[in-house]
Parts: sequence; structure tokens; C-alpha cells
Amino acid sequence: MQPERDGSLVDILDRLLNRGAVLNADLIISVAGIPLIGLNLRAALASMETMLEYGVMEDWDKSTREWYARQQTNLPLSKDEEILFKTFGYIWREEGIISRWVPGVWNITSRRLFLWLRSPGEVLFEAPLENLRIERVNASRAARVEWELISSGGSAKISISDSDEFEEALARATGVQTAVPV
Amino acid sequence: MADEAGQFEARYIYSVARTDLKENLGDIGIGKETVYTIPHRGIAALVHSCWPLAYNTKDKALAEEWIIEHSYVIDQATKRFGAVLPFSFDVIIKGDDAVIEQWLIRNYKHLLGALESVEGSAEYTIQIYYDHDDLSARVLESDAELNALKGQIEKESKGKAYFLQKKLDQKLKSRVSSQAENLAAKYLLKIKSLVKELKAEGNKWMPEDYKRLKLLASYSCLVSDDRVAELGEILEEIDRMQGFKVRFTGPWAPFSFASIQELA
Repeated sequence: MQPERDGSLVDILDRLLNRGAVLNADLIISVAGIPLIGLNLRAALASMETMLEYGVMEDWDKSTREWYARQQTNLPLSKDEEILFKTFGYIWREEGIISRWVPGVWNITSRRLFLWLRSPGEVLFEAPLENLRIERVNASRAARVEWELISSGGSAKISISDSDEFEEALARATGVQTAVPV
Repeated sequence: MADEAGQFEARYIYSVARTDLKENLGDIGIGKETVYTIPHRGIAALVHSCWPLAYNTKDKALAEEWIIEHSYVIDQATKRFGAVLPFSFDVIIKGDDAVIEQWLIRNYKHLLGALESVEGSAEYTIQIYYDHDDLSARVLESDAELNALKGQIEKESKGKAYFLQKKLDQKLKSRVSSQAENLAAKYLLKIKSLVKELKAEGNKWMPEDYKRLKLLASYSCLVSDDRVAELGEILEEIDRMQGFKVRFTGPWAPFSFASIQELA
């Protein structure tokens, strides 16, 4: 059995407010001799126990996970945006006379589809999920599936190796069935 | 102590770690403050510079953000420096870097000792749960005395049956809890043999998925990195037993074992 950090904010709260080192000294901020450590926050979080009872904390836990996800990947996500699926893939780029497949990580979030280049840390292509369509096209290489992607953010030719999972994830995210050529 | 110029200065302290370097860890602190180290002879305080005011808010979302940010700094520090001494939220020291350094000098031996005691280890939480109904049913089935009592109830008149049922319920309840406690005691010995330190927890919080179960035992443990797998095996053994479930979380910074309360 492996230990897990399941992203529960309660575990973190308990540690930061009730445990950890403190200083009982003149050095620290206090009011009338009572150190202010965590007292203010406890007031703000006083009804936490009640919230736990009614499962309101579920949202908190979700936002904790999102926050950590944002920090750890440095992905440029907006506050309520959540990554639903990510996979390695390519985009076809025609730059002057050079045309090539550029590799990166395709991310499907609650809002958009985008290709992330870890280094130098840049979004190479993005398209909002609304009105996003992909269509399988004849692949230039047998091992990969290629799609024509059409969206209000522009069109592109993309390729991903775990094709079925990608199509399913995108269909789930957009609520639209992918058009598969007969 | 803080001089004239330093009287409006303060440092928010996240943790104490082992490092010689004065370095900037980036804008990863509470409210995107820059976190940096103030070293002294191989140990350093991780701080950000702030006003001498406690972080205070009535806004839950903001409080939550602060807590996560604090926790994130500690996680990053752990990744970079190994085990650290994590501080509680909102520990703010009046004064500038020199005041912090003085504090490190005054408490040097104590801090170094505390860091050495958590080195190469991390904190883990173990919660053992059991399914009361499931365990009751199995105890009832396997216990001859209770079985006989049950048989008797079926034969007796309504009034007598009622009292016998009460008696049965009581006996069953105490058998179930003593069986669960015996199991917890047996495994507590095994767990203790694998951890550096163990604290029984009063915290009775349980996640949503576990609400239908009863919390049998809850421990915070300081575990050497090389014993975690073994501990996991013992917990797996409990988790596989019918009617029992284990929640094993970590690794955490040693919040429950950062016992440096008597610092000056």
C-alpha cells in the first residue's frame, strides 16, 4: 500500500493551524501577550467542521488540487480551469519553406484545447472548446492518427498517438461526437 | 534587536532547513511574496519580508489560498533541502534579516538537533477504519455463546425475548469493540517497530468515502524513507482484511514532530 497525498485541504489545514513549530517569544507578533499565530485564520475557518459535515469541503479539495496542478506544471491556466486530459502529440507547422511536425503536450481543459511546449514554456496553439471540431484525415505515417482541427481560434493539422482516448476525452469535454470518415 | 530602521520590518517564517546558501526561491510565498533563505552555519530560515502584522481575513477563499501557499513553500523547501522543520501558519518575527540571524545563533544547537532528528524521514498519517455491521455479523456467527443466546430468543415469549435481545446486543457490542481494539493493539506494535516516532491522534476527521465506517485508530508517524515500503506492507495486510480499511497519507513535512516549542 502506497501513501498518498490525496489533495485533501483538511489534512493541510490541520497541519498548518494546529501543528508545526511556533515561537513563544517576544519576537513575534502578538496582542496583549497572546501570539496571533493562526488565530485570525481560525476565525475565518471556524465553521469548517460544519462544512465538513455537509460535504462542502469537496469544492475546497478540488480547488486545492487545481492550485497544485497549476503550480507544478507552470501551465498558464486560469483560476477555474481544470485539466481533463493530457497526452503527447504534434502539430503541423508551415514556417516559410520549412514544414514539420512540432512535438508537445496536448491538454484538454474545461475550457480549451492547447498544445504546451515545456521548454521554453509556451502555448503553441490553442482553441476554445466551443465550436471545436476535429476530423480524421489520411495519415502521412501509418503509426499515427492525424486530424484536421477547425475552431473559432483557427485551424490546424494535429497528430496524437493514443488517438481513441484523445477523441473520447475531447468528445466528453465538448459534448460533441467526433466525425469519423467512413 | 530591531533598530529604528527595522521597526516596521518583519519576516514571515515558513521553515528552517539545512543549507549554507543565501538564495532566492522565487515568488512562491503567500500573496506571491519572494521567499529566500537567511543562513547561519549550515542551517537557514526560509522567510518572506512583510509588515509586522498578522495575516488576517474573514474571507474563507483567501484564507484557503494562504494556507495552500504556505504548504506549497514547505513542499518546495523539502524537495530542495530534504527534511525541514515546518512552521505553523502566521508565525511572523518582528525585525529584519539580522534579527532572524540572531535568533538562529541563539537557538543553533536546538535547531540543528531538531533538523537531524527528522533527516531522511517524513511524516505519515495512518487511519484504520472498520465496518461495524460487517464485523458484528461475523462475530455473531462465530461466537458459540452469542449463537446460543440467539437461538434462545427465537424460542422465548415476546417479553422475555425482548430482554434477551438487549443482553445479546450488549454482549455483541462489547465483543465487536474488543475484537477491533485487540487488532488495533496488535498492529500498533508492528507499526511502532517500523517508525521513528508515533503519536496517537485525537483528530476524528474522516473523508467522505469513509463516513460509513468507524474510525478505530489514528496515528501520525515519523518514518525513515527506507521503512515506508515495509510500513505500507503491514498496512496493506490490515486493509485486505474483511471489514477493515486503511487510509495512509503522506509524505508530509514533519509538522507533528517539529517540537521546538522552547525556542527563545
